[in-house]
Amino acid sequence: MKAMNRRKLITASAVLAVVGLAATALPAQAAEVGVSSTQIKLGMTLPMTGTASLGYNKIPGAAKAYFDYLNANGGINGRKITLVVKDDRYVPTEAVSKTNELILKDKVMALLAPLGTANVKAVASSVNPARRGIPVLFINTGFSGFADTKKYPTTYTVLPSYVMEAKIMGEYIKENFAGKKIGLLYQDDDFGVDALAGFKAAGTTFAIKVPYASGSQGAAAAAGWITKFKAAEADVVILFGVSSATSAMLGVAAQLKYAPQWMLGSVGGDATTIKLTGVPAGVLYNAIGFSPVPATTDMNDEYVKFFSDIYAKALPGSAFDLNVLLGMNTAFMTAQALKAAGPNPTRKSLMAAIDSKGATFASSALVPAGYSKTSHVGLTGYWVGKYAPTGDLAPIGGTYVTYTTDSGSGPVVKSTYKRPPMPAKGLPN
Amino acid sequence: MKKVRLLSLLSVTALVTTVLVTAPTIANAAPACDGKSPIQSCVGVTSDGAPYAMQVPANFNGTVALYSHGYRFNVDIPAGIPLIGGYKITNTPEPIPGGNMAVAQYFFSQGVAIVGSGFARQGWNPDSAIKTNVELIDTFKKQFPKTTKVVAWGSSLGGVITQGLAEKYPELISAAAPMCMADNITPQLTMAGDFLWGVKVLFDPTIKGGNYSAGAAGVGESYTDLVKVFTVMGKLQAALATGAWPDTSSATGKALAAAGVPSRSALLLLGLMAGLPTQSAHFDSISGPEGALKLTFPLALSPALAILENGTEAAALAIMATQDVENQVGGAIFDNTKTDYAARVDGERVIYNAALSGNTVIDALLGALSAANPGAPRAVANPAAVAKMNALHSNTGKINVPTVLMVGMADPITPAGASQRLVDLYAEQYAAEKAAAFKAYRTSGYAAPANKLLMLWNPSPDSYTKFNEAGSPITSTPAAQGTRHCNFTSAQLVLVAKSMVQASNTGKLPSGGALYTAVRKAGNLSVDKGIRAPWLKSYGDN
Repeated sequence: MKAMNRRKLITASAVLAVVGLAATALPAQAAEVGVSSTQIKLGMTLPMTGTASLGYNKIPGAAKAYFDYLNANGGINGRKITLVVKDDRYVPTEAVSKTNELILKDKVMALLAPLGTANVKAVASSVNPARRGIPVLFINTGFSGFADTKKYPTTYTVLPSYVMEAKIMGEYIKENFAGKKIGLLYQDDDFGVDALAGFKAAGTTFAIKVPYASGSQGAAAAAGWITKFKAAEADVVILFGVSSATSAMLGVAAQLKYAPQWMLGSVGGDATTIKLTGVPAGVLYNAIGFSPVPATTDMNDEYVKFFSDIYAKALPGSAFDLNVLLGMNTAFMTAQALKAAGPNPTRKSLMAAIDSKGATFASSALVPAGYSKTSHVGLTGYWVGKYAPTGDLAPIGGTYVTYTTDSGSGPVVKSTYKRPPMPAKGLPN
Repeated sequence: MKKVRLLSLLSVTALVTTVLVTAPTIANAAPACDGKSPIQSCVGVTSDGAPYAMQVPANFNGTVALYSHGYRFNVDIPAGIPLIGGYKITNTPEPIPGGNMAVAQYFFSQGVAIVGSGFARQGWNPDSAIKTNVELIDTFKKQFPKTTKVVAWGSSLGGVITQGLAEKYPELISAAAPMCMADNITPQLTMAGDFLWGVKVLFDPTIKGGNYSAGAAGVGESYTDLVKVFTVMGKLQAALATGAWPDTSSATGKALAAAGVPSRSALLLLGLMAGLPTQSAHFDSISGPEGALKLTFPLALSPALAILENGTEAAALAIMATQDVENQVGGAIFDNTKTDYAARVDGERVIYNAALSGNTVIDALLGALSAANPGAPRAVANPAAVAKMNALHSNTGKINVPTVLMVGMADPITPAGASQRLVDLYAEQYAAEKAAAFKAYRTSGYAAPANKLLMLWNPSPDSYTKFNEAGSPITSTPAAQGTRHCNFTSAQLVLVAKSMVQASNTGKLPSGGALYTAVRKAGNLSVDKGIRAPWLKSYGDN
């Protein structure tokens, strides 16, 4: 490049400044990857096929149902949301490949709701969205490590962490099952590491802990697990695994007439998904479950009613379940973040919007979110329920009692959080 | 799963590069030229005994491309040794990569001459090879006084030599292109050594794995090691689905087997510890056959199969290069007494958790491989030998001339991280140059520093493992792009050649739309700045 003297440099700077001023006065225009004058493109990878897809494969349809509703009502400042979905089959290396496609070929503005601890970690290390400045919004994993803003500066969690869930479970056990023998089934990876850390913080002691390697769950494995729990005479068995592990366990338990007090983690606790595998609803009856969002059958809840109505119109005949509610809620929060990111949203302004306003976003969740300039922690608690004879989870005593905590050594406390009301027409303000 | 014939498919052509021109015999004489047209061929020998070859087109425009070949074994390999047996040591000159005529034709069409030597010694040789190249440049210029520009390129170890030439003698060359470049000797041999050590302590403790005897006795020991490693790899391959351990396994290995640890998980962990790619010539760690193994294959089996393919090549290099360098420096060079293998796999254990059979198994394996376990004795280097090795040529990573890097993202011998290191170091260098330019702006006007580095990544396809009707993987197909060592197409090599020539003519590397178009046409390359390959593991967390 030719040398530029100081005068020319000043002149050039002045010209650039004028151009910059002019640009701000122009109407909405393309200024960021994935953002055009008419659309905002987002990308999602998760298991759409294969044994791990059951239940989770409803999330994209749920998110699209809300985005379609939003688009039909003006979109975000005139831009319609397009969601590109790729099937990673719950294979980390495939998640890397598909995420690369989303970024390089589809040129999405942000990644939305990728699912699975291993997959999100694989993408973080191999695709490097942080290095590229790409937001990874509202991930579908509760691994507490993703809230580390130094390691994952562009990643935002939304689900309460597995540590929080285990701490709240531990507190419930302390209050309700003192002196009972407790058994734990957990996934033998970071998912389980988080669970163990939470139970340790809660002071829970186990008569037996049974780990299973991801991918090894099935009927044959479940028979072996039951043998171990029986031998340990566990009164309460916690299933802190994915849906396929919960389903395998409950299905085989039903056949063997093994019926301890079940306690299901939220990841594998969606009744619709479990029943789809052939597990009779009655097996779930009286099992204890946990959720950060209202019961999906609670049509008195304005959010549940609103989302279920939209979903029924978009996908008639498809059951409205926990995965659907969480998927729609994620889309709803994303819309608010995009709206808050300004008339011409950029990747940076999108993340800044969540940092500054995310904690006040409207959401169906009954527990607060922890977003701030220094925290990418999403929801921070659960309510405790029991499964009804139909298999649906409902609050114990008919009233939601929510608990909140952190992923560290903080106490488990009853939450006084007041959820923001649904904005008019369910559209971002 | 049917037995996969992996080993028979492993290629050594990457290690032993193709030779082209008959070697002359008289050292330091003027080149002997045939005077033919349109291409004049000259041969000769440098003062250190390195034969060389020159090919000069009739329309020679003053630019010559100097090529440095890759690693060639420094000893003959007996015919009875699997895979690489029958190799004969050679210093036949190689003026164009692998004798690729398409690339040579490109140069000739541009009026560019080509030149390359076979070097005076084989094995690890940057010190002598750089000197040879300096002399060869001078010889070429004297023979062809019209010469105005030299562009230097090389593959694998030749990439180290090329970068070294550009670092030490930037005044001699106007552009450089280290391709599938090896890292410096310590991280490079540590990578291979880590894997070999793991194979030894788990699967066959009679493998010597280093600290070879001096001279012919050590060469013989290395031959024995080659046979043992290939044999144990064959046993692991045969038992991949069952997870059974080889009968030669150590007491530590047998204890792990008794505890239910699958051998494939152990093999994968060794690969991850060393930093080997989990994509190989035929295994993408993504695809699965239709049916029951659709998901299980990529989750539980494919990564281990990829390590089996990649690790066999890495172990062969580890044995032969370790023996060569130990012979040069007089003692054992691999030392893992302080290596924290648990830290090495901290980021990957969750990603490959299913294939590693879960945290309980991973922790059992890492415990067995820890320094605290006397059943897995660590390798101890000879300090004097290490000091001598450290005195051998090392590249600093300084970019002095316009430079093009190209590497396969899943190269098992010279990992992409070796090139990433130069990219990262250049980012710091460029930032410093930019800061200096701003500082100079008040007195001499602003001149933004020109970019001197173009990184061409050669990624592997999204998925490429093929299966037959029975659901068994097919390994008879050509290696996938981005895998295997220096596995480039002619079009990709020509792009590198064009980029070098352009930079030598204009002082600028290709950029913008012209670059993107050229990259697209070359196929299977990416210049995405978001790509980041991990540095070799021995550099630690980076």
